[in-house]
Amino acid sequence: MITATDLKLTFGKGTPLENPALRGMSLTVNQGEFVTVIGSNGAGKSTFLNALAGEVMVDSGKIIVDNQDVTKLPTYKRAGRVARVFQDPLAGTCEGLTIEENLSLAIKRGQRRGLSAAVKARYMDQFKNSLASLNLGLENRLGDKMGLLSGGQRQAVSLLMASLTPSAILLLDEHTAALDPKTASFVLELTTQIIKEQKLTALMVTHSMKQALEVGDRTVMLHQGQVVFDIAGKDREGLEVKDLLELFEKQRGLEITDDSLLLG
Amino acid sequence: MLSNIAFYGAIETGLIYGLVAFGIYISFRVLDFPDLTVDGSFPLGAAVAAVLIIEGVNPWLATGAAVIAGMGAGAVTALLNVKLNILNLLASILTMIALYSVNLRIMGRPNIALLTEETVLTPWYNLDLEYHQVPVVLFTLVVLAGLVLLWRFMKSETGLAMRATGANPRMARAQGIATGAMIVLGVALSNGLVGLAGALFAQSQGAADVTMGVGVIVIGLASLIGGEAVLTPSSVVRALIACVIGAIIYRLAIALALNADFLGLQAQDLNLITAVLVTLAIVLPGVRTSVAARFTRNKA
Repeated sequence: MITATDLKLTFGKGTPLENPALRGMSLTVNQGEFVTVIGSNGAGKSTFLNALAGEVMVDSGKIIVDNQDVTKLPTYKRAGRVARVFQDPLAGTCEGLTIEENLSLAIKRGQRRGLSAAVKARYMDQFKNSLASLNLGLENRLGDKMGLLSGGQRQAVSLLMASLTPSAILLLDEHTAALDPKTASFVLELTTQIIKEQKLTALMVTHSMKQALEVGDRTVMLHQGQVVFDIAGKDREGLEVKDLLELFEKQRGLEITDDSLLLG
Repeated sequence: MLSNIAFYGAIETGLIYGLVAFGIYISFRVLDFPDLTVDGSFPLGAAVAAVLIIEGVNPWLATGAAVIAGMGAGAVTALLNVKLNILNLLASILTMIALYSVNLRIMGRPNIALLTEETVLTPWYNLDLEYHQVPVVLFTLVVLAGLVLLWRFMKSETGLAMRATGANPRMARAQGIATGAMIVLGVALSNGLVGLAGALFAQSQGAADVTMGVGVIVIGLASLIGGEAVLTPSSVVRALIACVIGAIIYRLAIALALNADFLGLQAQDLNLITAVLVTLAIVLPGVRTSVAARFTRNKA
């Protein structure tokens, strides 16, 4: 479970470029929930995810992950509880390292690293099985350099790496946005499959309202650094993009002008 | 051509610079941390070892102390970068400059002669070997030991974390790697190796001198880049072997250049030759591909 309470964060404080990214953001994600997050550009989606991961420190507010206050902890100290897949398919893996080396890095996420060999024979069955589930033939290419893989393949491996060890929450930051439509739907399918199979708690930021309603079991919309609405269960069933827009306009008295949000 | 002595001399210094190249491989290649501290940590290693040896300390202990001193210097550079957010290159220049004073303080004078002292090499002269082969044999063993240890380390969990830190720090942090600590450890390790090289160099050359560090970074880089041009560093072990090969080729090339009478080069031309060789080593692989591309295009 993860609880964010009244998060505030302003970039460039005291400068002409002052930009309040989070203005009292509060959200609780319960165990086993798969929450999709939408919002237009500048709504604070990525900042919120970065704040949860520890890449940026909030000015005020509190972040609790599995009953531990992590507000002041740097990224690497949260990594044992917080798993992550980035938007950039190249960001989640090391291209100079082999597939098995990347997976071996991920299997020790948040744990002490010693001087024993990083790539261990006893990992191999698990690596091969999980790679085989991707149906990309990567289980036979464990010794290949990551850089030889395509963006989609690398994103699929990033997803595997994030789910190799248990975590309190899996953060997905528009992780299909940089892929071509076919690969994007493959990675999205894989995401829902992994989250379902392993009963993961996940927070997925997306730019597409359609996607946000199609996957997961709860949808949260951010606007100007706050949660503007939060729907789940019966209210969310059968909801379409236009309903979502109406909901938004009713709540805010605003019209959505971000084309990409409507078209996505 | 080269005399026997010049040949073994080139191999001997080549092996020592192989250790420097190991260090530069860790900072420049593994961590992507351009570190000029080595110009200071090389004479630091020499100074520490020399002072302890003339005090009567066991030469191997003195050499060990030089390694620790080098690691300390590297740690200072890394901490300036990690904790105080000083640009890595600038942090290393600051440490390098500071070390000049530190080295003078340690030695108490600009140079210390070791010609009559017992060094790590002394017992080896009792072996049935030619005089100028002795350092080559001992340093080969040291370099091999260093290569194997470094290779094992780079394949370990911590070593892999260090490689990830240099290649993709954001990903490394997300995997729970304390990237700052990895940089400190890596740069310390790198300068420890350079300190070792300095200590061995002083003992084989018979003196420690405060100016002996000038240009060590360039020689180390020349070895690294030259080695990579000869042996593609597709794996850690190949990259490490390339370091040694590059360093030996570099020293042989220098020895040849200085011994080729028709070129008319003299010892003072060393740094100029080095700069030219490094430039060639950087440019040539690119020229080779573009020439090859031109030929294939013409054929088509």
